[in-house]
Amino acid sequence: MLTYTLKRLFVALLILIVVSALTFSMSHLASDPAMAIAGETASAEDIQEIRRIYGFDQPIWYQYMAWAGKALTGDFGTSYHYREQVSVMLAQRFPTTLTLGICALAFALLLSIPMGVLAAIRPNSLIDRTALFIAVLGQALPTFWFALMLMILFGVQLRWLPISGNATWAHFVMPAIALGYYSTPALMRLTRAGMIEVLNSDYIRTARAKGLRPPTVMFKHALRNAILPVVSLTAVQFGFALGGSIVIETIFNLKGVGWLSYDAILRADLPVVQAIVLVIACFYVVLTLAADLLNAALDPRIRVR
Amino acid sequence: MMIRTITAGMLAAAIGLGAAAAHAGKDDDTLTIAWGSTGPIENVDNYFNTNRTGIWFSRMVWDQLVYRDEKTFEFKGLLAESWEYLNDTTLRFKLRQGVTFHNGEPFDADDVVFTLNWISDPDNGVKVQRNVNWIKNAEKVDQYTVDLHMKKPFPQAFEFLSGPLTIYPNEYYAKVGPDGMGKKPVGTGPYSVVSVKQAEEYVFKRNDDYNWGSPKGAGKIENIVVREIADVQTQIAELLAGGIDFTADISADHVEQIATVPGFEALQAETMRTGYIGFDAAGRSGFKPTTDVRVRRAMAHAINRESLVKNLIRGDSKVIHTPCFPTQFGCDVNAAVKYAFDPSKAKALLAEAGYADGFEIDLYSFRPADWNEAVMGDLAKVGIKVNFTKMPYFALRDLQWEGKTPMYFMDWGSYSMNDMSAITSHFFKHGPDDYALDPDLKQWLETGDTNVDPAVRKENYAKAIQKITEKVYWLPMFSHVRNYAYVASLDFTPYPDEIPRFFRYGWK
Amino acid sequence: MVAIDNRSAEQILEPSPLAKLRRRIFGHYSFLFGAGVIVLMVLVALAAPLLAPHDPYYTDLSKRIQMPFWHADTTPAKYNPDHLLGTDKVGRDYLSRLIYGAQVSLLIGFSAMIISGIIGTTLGVLAGYFGGRVDLVINFIINVRLALPVFLVALSVGFVFGASLEIVILVLGLFLWDRFAVVMRSITMQAREMDYVNAARAIGVSTPSIIVREVFPNVLNSLTVVATVEMANAILLEAALSFLGFGVQAPEPSWGLMLNEAREYMFFHPWLLTLPGLMLFLLVLAINLFGDGLRDVTQARERA
Repeated sequence: MLTYTLKRLFVALLILIVVSALTFSMSHLASDPAMAIAGETASAEDIQEIRRIYGFDQPIWYQYMAWAGKALTGDFGTSYHYREQVSVMLAQRFPTTLTLGICALAFALLLSIPMGVLAAIRPNSLIDRTALFIAVLGQALPTFWFALMLMILFGVQLRWLPISGNATWAHFVMPAIALGYYSTPALMRLTRAGMIEVLNSDYIRTARAKGLRPPTVMFKHALRNAILPVVSLTAVQFGFALGGSIVIETIFNLKGVGWLSYDAILRADLPVVQAIVLVIACFYVVLTLAADLLNAALDPRIRVR
Repeated sequence: MMIRTITAGMLAAAIGLGAAAAHAGKDDDTLTIAWGSTGPIENVDNYFNTNRTGIWFSRMVWDQLVYRDEKTFEFKGLLAESWEYLNDTTLRFKLRQGVTFHNGEPFDADDVVFTLNWISDPDNGVKVQRNVNWIKNAEKVDQYTVDLHMKKPFPQAFEFLSGPLTIYPNEYYAKVGPDGMGKKPVGTGPYSVVSVKQAEEYVFKRNDDYNWGSPKGAGKIENIVVREIADVQTQIAELLAGGIDFTADISADHVEQIATVPGFEALQAETMRTGYIGFDAAGRSGFKPTTDVRVRRAMAHAINRESLVKNLIRGDSKVIHTPCFPTQFGCDVNAAVKYAFDPSKAKALLAEAGYADGFEIDLYSFRPADWNEAVMGDLAKVGIKVNFTKMPYFALRDLQWEGKTPMYFMDWGSYSMNDMSAITSHFFKHGPDDYALDPDLKQWLETGDTNVDPAVRKENYAKAIQKITEKVYWLPMFSHVRNYAYVASLDFTPYPDEIPRFFRYGWK
Repeated sequence: MVAIDNRSAEQILEPSPLAKLRRRIFGHYSFLFGAGVIVLMVLVALAAPLLAPHDPYYTDLSKRIQMPFWHADTTPAKYNPDHLLGTDKVGRDYLSRLIYGAQVSLLIGFSAMIISGIIGTTLGVLAGYFGGRVDLVINFIINVRLALPVFLVALSVGFVFGASLEIVILVLGLFLWDRFAVVMRSITMQAREMDYVNAARAIGVSTPSIIVREVFPNVLNSLTVVATVEMANAILLEAALSFLGFGVQAPEPSWGLMLNEAREYMFFHPWLLTLPGLMLFLLVLAINLFGDGLRDVTQARERA
């Protein structure tokens, strides 16, 4: 287990290094940060001076090393636009996005697992088909369209829910549904497929043959096994939710990381964009690593592979 | 099934909007405003942001030395009671007595001297240097008298003194700096700041000590809450649902629509913001056709500005023929060469220039696609195929500075300054956005900007207007309108400088 | 999730005719529906110049926002029988733009899918066939790709290079290959162990030709299923990008861009938003149903 863990950890680190190097070089090759910093009234000499002060005249690998070194200590530099520490800005914006992500996933899981299980118990029953129908619809509904519909109906028309901001929990209901609904189909399909596979496996047949009560079989034995891949997928989906929250945060005026990244892109605020890409990549890497290790701990065969 | 429900829901929403909006605004004397469609104020310290909403914020919280009457454009005393020119480069201000800052600090010459010296020091990094770089320094004469020294004769000084140059409390600002001022602003203005939640919400309270006879007048509504909402549709949703009482970020069509909903009012008001299409006449982008003046004239004749104004911009927007807004000092409408909508003349000019079969050109803009599409439609009708790229403002500005835009549809609000130097000189003195690079213009505008004799200024500015329009470096388009929507109980008046005076508004 | 064709001989032969038939019929309907809608959309896209009543680019400011036919009786002044589905905010015929919009969505979905398909399949097959270090490296590349947030990167690219149809296709194509790679890798791995592949190797057939002649035909079904998923994905992403203004540029009649332009009217003329949204929904739904159906038809076990 230890070797496996170390190996996975090493790969995870390597991924982060490559991702950060990629984002850094792409953004620096694509646009001139000195101009962004200099602002409206700068002359050519001012821009030269800024290049020198910020070290933009150094070779790109050198700049990267300097940036990465600082990033390791949590220093992502200063926003060109807001003139504030990027790490401070991220810390300020993350709780909102995290809340949104967790609410969205909770919604998705609450919807998809029961539906997936029910569908698996009676394949091709009405429940199964309804579940499948909802899944197919969910995959085809553009998230932003769905979000706007929710806003019109529950915000403006019925006035049941607040429309924008993050003041109370009620403010997260619509965004979480809009964002979570997109993850539902994949999670539900996986639950269903996993359940069907487990229910058809030998040991469940044995358990049933031994005369255990169906609910016991279902929840104690089957679901526990079927849920493993769902956990992995949830981890991945959480990363997607962070990335996908850009549109949702913009529509519902949640000032989280998604909004911040959009705002930063509009202003060519490179340090902010880079830091956000890296943080999201970190989330993905850490979550998949955790899911892998969890799976390995629960299923020894994985470790050997 | 689902789809039908949704469609039905949408239609219901459209029909059901007739229900009167329930808003708490008037009942608890709190005005809730949404603004921020161009992004939140990066730092509410007046000297460290470049947002238009930053100006709106500053007018509530701080005062300037001088006040410009919004109707007559006449300058009146604000924190200064009176002033006189000691010579071409020195102004002496007599200050008002008995004014205090929100934190209790009394206002006197020390505050003025500190503020003017601090902001004009380039090391302090005030964001818009052109607001302050004409100031040499300020000197205290006595407790209520200050001398302001300028680097050179600066005829537009009062535009700045009545606009961006707000006076700060010296002791407080020396202690907390821009960072602290951004978190807890302190001024002398009609509203004090209760809290600042950066990029999210600002809460203001009426300053009941604002009774020393300011021409701005004391605040009326007790509480003002500003919410930064980037998305215009979200702002409207909030307005219709009763979450906010006022927005100024909407489109002409929104005005028409919201005005039909009971309980709300909406209006359009002309502003100083001047739209224009710029052409690469100097060949900076390497694009050839626009370097030919006949081609530029052809395009000026091909674009139907009247139709654009009438159908898309609406309100009291007007076609503009000058590279400046007509009320601005020096902006002589008679000096401009005017181009009437005349597609056949456009075609003839194109043929004369050797482009009888037209050409392809790239158009850049950050403004609504439909405005550009109208221009593209007009140009297509004379054989010019336009490829349009819509970009965010900052991306486009970078591209422009790099010299890569053969044609661009932009606009300029002149920082609400009623002086032509704030627009024409900004663009035609060989700066990074200058695609004319005309040496005559540089010289005339320089003279106009620095000469203290109004007649000399006017004469030089008129020459510049004549040249720019004759050569069609710009095709001036129209005056923008700002579109407002608000709850019917709000007593609202718009101003042409695009700055709502929230301290003037009360309930009906 | 991952479609793996590892049916054993018994499973394939295992008779459960009634259940199977039911399943087939159910799969068949949605499959037929999906395939039908796709064919229809493709035909509409191809025949757009014949079908569209007007030039989708022709602007007429005097005819802005004409109402569609179902509002004809409520607002007769703003209805013009010449424009069955009304006009948009610069007076362009909405029906014509919706018809041409099929071209844009299909073009983007298809091109992005082909690019990502080529990249993903190549990587996946290489990893699966050679295993060992090649597999390790390719697995690493897949993980790097998964760690990058697609939407954020696509937005940034749109900002830097100025968004356009080509850029959108390119970015989506370069980013949506991961599923192809993962699926192809595991299928190739299994195919590699098959008897006929071993036999081919034994008689000295070259590696590329084994891959092309023996492995490839076996994975084609799964490939098509992944392709439908990614095509749907690309279409939705394009719509989201255009919605934020970083996708296809005006005046191109993309459904995503039409949604963006129609947002201004969401409270008062919601049909402007409903129509392109519905088209987008229908196309993506059809592609998904087609993919699902295909999986059902070719892979009985998954639905067992």
